[in-house]
Amino acid sequence: MNNPLEHTWQSVMDQLKTWARINSPWAIHFNSGSCNGCDIEILATLTPRYDMERFGVKLQGSPRHADILICTGPVTRQARERLIRIYEQMPEPKFVVAVGSCALTGGAFQGCYNVMGGIDQVIPVDAYIPGCPPRPEAIIDGLVKLLGSLKADGAPERASEPPLAASVLEPSS
Amino acid sequence: MSAVFALVIFPGGVFILLAGMLYEWVDRKLVARFQNRVGPRWFQPLADTVKLLAKEEVVPDGVNAQLFVVLPVIALAGALTAVLYVPVFGLAPSFSFSGDLIVTIYMLSLLTLCMGLAGANTLNRFSLLGATRTLTQLFSYEAPFLLALLGPAIVAGSWRISTIADYAAGHWLILTQPIGFAVALIGLMGKLELPPFDAPEAETEIVAGALTEYSGRGLALFHLGKGVELVVGLTLVAAFYLGGVTNPLWFAVKTLALLVGLAGVQTLLTRLRIDQTVGLWWRYGALLVLVQFLALILWEGVIA
Ligand code: SF4
Repeated sequence: MNNPLEHTWQSVMDQLKTWARINSPWAIHFNSGSCNGCDIEILATLTPRYDMERFGVKLQGSPRHADILICTGPVTRQARERLIRIYEQMPEPKFVVAVGSCALTGGAFQGCYNVMGGIDQVIPVDAYIPGCPPRPEAIIDGLVKLLGSLKADGAPERASEPPLAASVLEPSS
Repeated sequence: MSAVFALVIFPGGVFILLAGMLYEWVDRKLVARFQNRVGPRWFQPLADTVKLLAKEEVVPDGVNAQLFVVLPVIALAGALTAVLYVPVFGLAPSFSFSGDLIVTIYMLSLLTLCMGLAGANTLNRFSLLGATRTLTQLFSYEAPFLLALLGPAIVAGSWRISTIADYAAGHWLILTQPIGFAVALIGLMGKLELPPFDAPEAETEIVAGALTEYSGRGLALFHLGKGVELVVGLTLVAAFYLGGVTNPLWFAVKTLALLVGLAGVQTLLTRLRIDQTVGLWWRYGALLVLVQFLALILWEGVIA
């Protein structure tokens, strides 16, 4: 990397990569226990009226194709392993967006016997979109902010680093 | 040296890949406009491809890793080889020999075949379902599509694409063989798995069909192959049925006109079930094109 030519080449390639990542976020949507209010708003966001394809967002069916995991709802104990599994199936680099108050903290379901809390208790979250449920405009705003933070340094600042360790991956009794 | 140039830069390599992305964008944009949306920006397919190429490629457990890696490459190579025998951009084909029509059509099928194999190579049940559907669909549209392209070959009296294209440049064969034109165009939609023939990759039922387990590079190569196939298919249909593509301007006008038609059909119709697809092709498509074929042979052999 001492060679200046090589260095320029490297930085150009990095810029190209970041540009492509910002302009082509493919999303997958996962409901880990939401009341469906947030899911309806996400579907509304994808309708022709808001047209996310303007930003290159495409809803993918397979986690292997997706870059952004859009999560709604609190994490129930049953959904936790599925959520982790879907997250692990996505190829790097991947980002997680938590949509709705429940996904942020557990919201209305906080303290229930079967609820772990917010999404960030289980997998690392890159963007939080509050609201119960958030409006489509808010979801678009959150996504755009996430993509904007990619532009700055290539990786968004993580608000939290949850313990995605063996202890979490193992099913709790 | 010129052969290498034709293979790597123009018209074979870089140019056709860019053209494939451009046509994919036109298609997506048209569908978006038909649905009253704004649609993707012009560089969208390029950004998608670069992003996928820069992503991690996950090789799942239980697959044959070599096959998994090599299949997308073969698929793209097949599509790129087909380009060399076809008058893309309104220029004469780079290579041609008698019988290259058959070779081209089978090079185009290689992509579908590779997708089928790729799906069958994984343990994922959705991939397997997708692979079955992909191959079933291949068997349903392939014969009518081939017959539809053989119609012009019969009247031109040759199996060489450049000879047929020269003959077709003087005759608007869409007027004398309208059934063949319709079947060829709809067969192309089946080949590319565009709606209403997208049962093999129906994302609402079977996740993403045969390519469910592909990520990153492999997915990008399959997408690129599809784009190339779109351009090649449109060129073939335009050259055979729409009075030939003798210069770049006519190439652009005629293929884009065909693309508008394709986008319209895509927006109008909903997905067919796989049995409906097969039924449509074998009950109507194949029969109609066979009748026309018979009429052509009789005309050529008995009357003319
Ligand atoms: S935030 Fe509101 S709408 Fe969304 S899942 Fe929770 S309770 Fe339902």
